[in-house]
Amino acid sequence: MSNIDRREFLRLVGVGGVGVGAGFMLAESIKHPVEHLIPYPVPPEEFSPGVATLYNSVCRMCPAGCGITVRTREGRAKKIEGNPLHPVNQGRLCALGQAGLQVLYNPDRLTAPMIQSAERGSEQFIQTTWDDGLSRVAQRLAQASDNGKNIVMLSEGVRGHLAELFEIFMARLGSGQLLHYDFAYPHSLRAANRKLFGIDQLPYYDIRHSSYLLSFGADYLNNWLSPVHYSLGFGDSRHGNDEFRGHFVQIEQKMSISGAAADEWVPARPGTEGILALGIAHQLLALDVYDGEDASDWRTALDAWSADTVAQKTGLPSSTIKHLASGFAGTERALAIGGGAAGNHSNSVDTLVAVNLLNYLIGNIGKPGGVVFNPDPAIGGATKNRQANFRSMQDLIESAGNGQIDVLVINNTNPAYTLPQSAGFKEALASIPTVVSLSSFVDETTAMADIILPSHTYLESWGDDTPEPGLGFSVASISQPVVSPLYNTRATGDILLGLASKLGFDEAIPWKSLEDYLKDRWRQIYERSPRDPGDFASFWRDVLRSGVWGENRRMQGPIVIDKQVIDDMGVAEPEFAGAADDYPFILQPYLSTAMYDGRGANLPWMQELPDPATGIVYGSWVEMNPVTAAKMGLVDGDLVRVTSEQGSIDAPLVIFPAIMPDVIAAPIGQGHDALGRYARNRGSNPIQLLAPKTDVSSGSLATCVTRVSVVATGRRRAPVKTGGETRQLGRNIVQSTGVGSGSAGHSAKLDSIPITVESI
Amino acid sequence: MVLANGWGWREMSVSIVHTLRVLKPAARVVLVALTGLIIGLYANARFFPGTSPVQPIDFSHRIHAGDNQIPCQYCHVQARRSISAGVPSVNKCMGCHAEVATDRPQIRLLANYWASKEPIPWIKVHDLPDFVHFTHKRHVLYGIECQTCHGPVETMDVVSREAPLKMGLCLNCHKDNEVVNGTDCWTCHK
Repeated sequence: MSNIDRREFLRLVGVGGVGVGAGFMLAESIKHPVEHLIPYPVPPEEFSPGVATLYNSVCRMCPAGCGITVRTREGRAKKIEGNPLHPVNQGRLCALGQAGLQVLYNPDRLTAPMIQSAERGSEQFIQTTWDDGLSRVAQRLAQASDNGKNIVMLSEGVRGHLAELFEIFMARLGSGQLLHYDFAYPHSLRAANRKLFGIDQLPYYDIRHSSYLLSFGADYLNNWLSPVHYSLGFGDSRHGNDEFRGHFVQIEQKMSISGAAADEWVPARPGTEGILALGIAHQLLALDVYDGEDASDWRTALDAWSADTVAQKTGLPSSTIKHLASGFAGTERALAIGGGAAGNHSNSVDTLVAVNLLNYLIGNIGKPGGVVFNPDPAIGGATKNRQANFRSMQDLIESAGNGQIDVLVINNTNPAYTLPQSAGFKEALASIPTVVSLSSFVDETTAMADIILPSHTYLESWGDDTPEPGLGFSVASISQPVVSPLYNTRATGDILLGLASKLGFDEAIPWKSLEDYLKDRWRQIYERSPRDPGDFASFWRDVLRSGVWGENRRMQGPIVIDKQVIDDMGVAEPEFAGAADDYPFILQPYLSTAMYDGRGANLPWMQELPDPATGIVYGSWVEMNPVTAAKMGLVDGDLVRVTSEQGSIDAPLVIFPAIMPDVIAAPIGQGHDALGRYARNRGSNPIQLLAPKTDVSSGSLATCVTRVSVVATGRRRAPVKTGGETRQLGRNIVQSTGVGSGSAGHSAKLDSIPITVESI
Repeated sequence: MVLANGWGWREMSVSIVHTLRVLKPAARVVLVALTGLIIGLYANARFFPGTSPVQPIDFSHRIHAGDNQIPCQYCHVQARRSISAGVPSVNKCMGCHAEVATDRPQIRLLANYWASKEPIPWIKVHDLPDFVHFTHKRHVLYGIECQTCHGPVETMDVVSREAPLKMGLCLNCHKDNEVVNGTDCWTCHK
């Protein structure tokens, strides 16, 4: 037993003291951290803290023009949903639309006007003021205009009054060319309607009321024209009503989401969809479905497209053609639509004419469940169709190369990414002395700009819109800023007004702000419909509150088809780019669900969104038929090199059971070398492989005609998937039986959908 | 010195020394350190409870809500409209104090905040964890008195947290008032 000596005593006192201190600090650390209650110096009028404020506006993530309702709290946008009052999306919204918040809050957004300080593409930007930026651009514009040089305004597809403002601005500028460029714009569909019906527009296809839908390649549930609206229509037709249950047939080479949801999936040879449509039309006439005065003309014109001829060309049995025709003719309110791969061949205008012909022959034009043409847009006047197809872009590139373009102003469109490399857009930019971009992000095109005047995101700007395609009646939607601008950016319209004021266009363009301009224009709309109660202020408030406004105006008049059009009816065999011996596969790039034409690649939510067919997140891939892959000795996850005459990309292989043996498919959207941290250097861009081949008559890029070869690189790179296994492994999760009933039908295997066509 | 129980302090101290003496030196150190730790914890909770923090301005609820009978929701206007009761804007304070008691030093502090359009960084006294969904609106509109959870604020010069804002408080009240789904987890944790 040792005694407690002085040293021991001091030690214990020390230890005790440390213990007390530690105990005290421990108690301190488990307390709630201090939180502050920060009052506003002056309370805002627009919102109450803790109470959500909802604003109705318009989605700009794709050209469909859905209405959105944005929930804001304390002046911050928190959630985007569909506007229940909007006739296009009726309260629903797709994933890309919901991800609009990540456009607003994206860390790679441009925060102020910039000037490229080193050579183009170096992305060495120095910040400047709006006054300086606008003055520089205005000075270049004035110089070019005075010297009679050409100015090109290349914008995304803008509509409504902003489109009109662009028109006014360019008209006042004098020597200028205004083009809209959207990669996925359905040029051939528009051209087909012009050719057959003489109406230059995208009509409304009433899928909702149709009980038999024949879709030639149009992936209407995913990316065709107005996917949210058509998805609603699909749901309603399928199981949303008590009267009928819609029957859906999908004709395509690679099973899309619409194909997967269809009742029948028919793989015709690539590019022969129009021939199939003519074959069906031939059968319709044989079934005496059409009783118009020109029936005999049609019989003569379609005489050559007998079931046997068509069967031989499309690779489908003639029984299938007759079966489709009798289904189409025998169902009340049948509808045929065309798009996707069918609208992207060398013969796509004729193909879509043939598809539209089916609608004409069964007489569903202007009827519920049929094709309804739209009246003139409700707002923005009769703005011309400025959409540039591939041929006009080639012309633009050529004149740039010849030094004929002095100033190029690019508004939120990205041709450096969405044009095939072989088009030479980036190279042509070198010959343009001044390139200005109005984009919110440094995308591939903006990286080549000398001056960037960054625009607001759509959630910060005023605007209005008319959905295209319309809904058969006159609709306009209005978009309003839901949050105060986050950065030192300006709305596109305000940039134009700023330039106009610097250029001294005060007489033609007197408005001080985009808001003034819009109000001025909407005052005119208010005055032309006097039945609206109250004064303009209350009308304006009501329009802002509902976010949408319409008139009960419809397109009138019967459709008459010219004799010449009837006589010329026919679809040529598709032409492909590249020799079949060297390049055995036909590449079908398709718009990705998550990234559309690549614009969603900088949004992390969209990168994380699993592809609905393959379950893949992040990265790109190439889809191949299992039988073909087995012949080539390739397995899922092999890194393959896809080569066309124009170039090559590397991507992991995905064995996809529902694709024709000689077709490979690849999603568009990845493979950016700009557009911020989430998009850059991820995956590859199949557009780069495309041959500069267009539809013969419309001049739109034929994206599905490029032949490619596929070779193994010897490396493996399994794509990241949310699901581990696509097979059932005997677990009987999904039970299936053959078509028809009982033993007569062939049994469908789940790892291979039998495709009976021979390779072409 | 003789203690109440009849023991002298000498006997007591001897007993501790005896206890310590029988232990091994290492155990002795541990025992003393642990005792110190408990004393530290207790001292913190007893003397520094953090229930009445020092605020940037010595605002007295007693003067406003007690002596002058200003209703709670005159300043906390959001209480019946929002999940949070809200703290009055500096503008609101100045609504009265542009005229009232302008010479007092604490009011001058307020005027300084107003002049520079700076918010006053009040420290929260009543704070619920982020995993609790509580809305003032619902409770105020039902007619629950503010004092039920916040205590007699109108008597306090410095606001202190009187009620332990723990789950028991919520559940007891929900049970007593027979709140529909009042004891369902998702009512508050959502």
